[in-house]
Amino acid sequence: MTTPNLRIRGLTKSFGGVKALAEVDLTVPAGQVHALLGHNGAGKSTLIKCLGGAFPPDSGTIEIGGTTRTRLTPRESIAAGVAIIYQTLSVVDALTVAENIFLGQEWTRYGRVDRSSQEKAAAGLLKRVAATCSPRDRVGDLPTGQRQLVEIAKALSRSASVLVLDEPTAALSGAESDALAARVEDLRAEGLAIVYVTHLLSEVERLADAVTVLRDGRVTHHSPVSGLSRGDLVAAIAGRPHQEPARPAPGPARPAAPPRLVVDGLHGPGFGPVSLTVGAGERVGLFGLIGSGRTRLLETLFGRRRAGGGTIRVGERTVAPARPSRALAAGIALVPADRRAQALFPSLTAQDNVLLPTIRPLARTGVRALHAERRVFGSLAEAVGLRPARPGLQAGTFSGGNQQKLVLGRWINSARHVEVLLLDEPTQGVDVGARHEIYQVVTGLAEERGTAVLFASNDPEEVVALADRCLIVADGQVIGELSGTGLTEQALLSAVHAPAPTADAASDRGERPDPGGPTTYGAA
Amino acid sequence: MTTADTVLSRPRVRVLATGGLTAVRRHPLIVVLAAMVLVFQLSTGSFLAPANLSGIATDAATLAIVAVPLALLVISGYLDLSVGSTLALGGLVAGRLASEGQPPVVAVLGALAAGGAVGAVNGVLCCRLGLSPFIVTLGMLTAVRGLAQQLFPLPLSGFGSGFAWLGGAKIAGIAAPVAIAVLVLAAGALFLAFTPSGRHVFAIGVNREAAHLSGINIRRMPFALFVVTGAAAALAGAIKASVLDSVVAGTSGAGFELAVLTAVLIGGVALTGGSGSILGVLLGVLFLGGLQNGLTLLNVPTFWQQMTQGVALVAGAALAYLAPRTGR
Repeated sequence: MTTPNLRIRGLTKSFGGVKALAEVDLTVPAGQVHALLGHNGAGKSTLIKCLGGAFPPDSGTIEIGGTTRTRLTPRESIAAGVAIIYQTLSVVDALTVAENIFLGQEWTRYGRVDRSSQEKAAAGLLKRVAATCSPRDRVGDLPTGQRQLVEIAKALSRSASVLVLDEPTAALSGAESDALAARVEDLRAEGLAIVYVTHLLSEVERLADAVTVLRDGRVTHHSPVSGLSRGDLVAAIAGRPHQEPARPAPGPARPAAPPRLVVDGLHGPGFGPVSLTVGAGERVGLFGLIGSGRTRLLETLFGRRRAGGGTIRVGERTVAPARPSRALAAGIALVPADRRAQALFPSLTAQDNVLLPTIRPLARTGVRALHAERRVFGSLAEAVGLRPARPGLQAGTFSGGNQQKLVLGRWINSARHVEVLLLDEPTQGVDVGARHEIYQVVTGLAEERGTAVLFASNDPEEVVALADRCLIVADGQVIGELSGTGLTEQALLSAVHAPAPTADAASDRGERPDPGGPTTYGAA
Repeated sequence: MTTADTVLSRPRVRVLATGGLTAVRRHPLIVVLAAMVLVFQLSTGSFLAPANLSGIATDAATLAIVAVPLALLVISGYLDLSVGSTLALGGLVAGRLASEGQPPVVAVLGALAAGGAVGAVNGVLCCRLGLSPFIVTLGMLTAVRGLAQQLFPLPLSGFGSGFAWLGGAKIAGIAAPVAIAVLVLAAGALFLAFTPSGRHVFAIGVNREAAHLSGINIRRMPFALFVVTGAAAALAGAIKASVLDSVVAGTSGAGFELAVLTAVLIGGVALTGGSGSILGVLLGVLFLGGLQNGLTLLNVPTFWQQMTQGVALVAGAALAYLAPRTGR
């Protein structure tokens, strides 16, 4: 056995008292693929960012190629031979493939960029990663798979010895995923130490030599892959102690609940046809991997995207939300997934953030009702447990969890009549404590007001904690349903991973056996 | 991520500070303005004379009338560079109507309609079609100037005593343009503070997508502000025509767009949108108007005056960057 290329020992990192990583060990010898698994928020990205020098760990060591360090800057990380391919690629679309590969380390001749030599060298690197693009292609014109290979080629050009791939197949087609898997095998054979972050167990089985599972910032499982069953992995990810969370005895809770949201044959670009029903006071989850079409479905229901066809009914009324304001008028509200980009007004006050859609309904003859606003804010802040509950504080200064409470507070207010609440990744970037408060608020809303709740999540723990019933989504279709005692983390993970692992599904993507017959799932 | 400390300490400072201190903290321009007044008074001896002050006020009035709606437009994340040419067009339309014997009210309404139409074109291109406001209104700056020269190739003058009222009359001792400017400033401040739409202007400027997903109509308000800005520029043009009793299509309002934008930005309105106040705009307008006047009193050559204005803008930007952002 050669000396390991990467050895992380006792790595610990806290954010404001919350331990994102606690005493994490990870050893990856040269010529091995090491899979890193875990829920969202388990600490995978924190670990990667510590390795990439994005933030310094509180304690612990990182040993790369025999040199031990306690902290790294991004520059030192690259110099040490670490290359990280993030999910959101960091290629420059406007530049050519060769220019991207040598960005920041241009080859010059007489003070000018030596294009032809760069392109020659780039061609060699592209060959090594079996990319089909030319060094002169503009990166923006390439499909995602090729752009990813360009980044890997860039890593190779810097003679990286540790390659980190962060959910590399999340945005790839089936064929591209297969091609990437072959490249990863080649690079392993060349002697790179590869850390492979993924949600897909099929990829772990196919590619990885060893696996580490993170949960709440701790390593909960570490072993070679051989001899490991899928059940073992699922159990490690879900975590045994959490197998039976405090789930109120589900059973047929509301058999008489009238349907509040009825979707029939709804489809649009990237999803559908989808038919589903959410009863009054019911909380239904949409569970699936990134890119499974959940967000598109929710955004179409909310009128942010145009539906290709199908019907949406709220109660007895058929609605066709052409834009968000129409959806809101029909009683449908959305808490979007990307808080910073789509929901928050960081430089405005907490009160403005919560009350924005309510200022007009509260106003009298066009003049703001300042006292009523202050009062409504106070009651909403209390209802969602906002801390600190200061109306004048800028929203951007709140923690992620409290920012999400501000967004959620917008729609739980009685001045706006929300009958259907859509939530996309309701606790993304929210700490554990606030997470449960948010679940309580949503649950309370459903139980007390009979609001129909439909939420998308790729966190099985969240689905089990929040949903009465869960629809499994893949490739824009509802492929299954879990409810009652059958709704467990294991069942959810198996449902997504077992039936059609992405890599294998690639071949039958063309001729799907059942071309998406609209099966109706619902309480009706 | 901000730590708990800064979250807690800011309001405490605010509690300790008196209202005046808070205003100074938010608008450091107050201090600069006071210093400028002091320096000019000491060096000229006549800066604070009533006649000079009313001259400054009249000059600053046209600036303020356009600066208020322009500030709202900038807060909502847009921009209008075409106001200089729109000002000329408004003055020409009003002047022509007045010299044809129409009553002043009709002349002013004609100017408002012409300016509103220019604003509507800007609004459709920027808000409906989503084109860049910088490019659209830069193009309109040139296009409207050309249109004005085509429609009114000859200088207009001699608008009659009725029309002169607009620029010359005193209302309770205050010149009519100043009275109009005060009304516009008050309307702008009340609009921002006390109407739901005022809040929407900020929201759209901070995060257009989030505003859209909150059910706010993100096109209507900026469109309306483009129309109002155009109309205000034309009104300012009519006032200038009335004061001077003449308009020339080629030169009227040339460079006005930069002066008014300078005032708005010095006043602390962020070019990136989402932040600014009408008090700041008032300070910016007074500062710029006072600076021009003072330098003229001191017989500073025009080129030096221009340079000073430019330096003031950059210094103002630095000040605004150092001061806390005024979100409310």
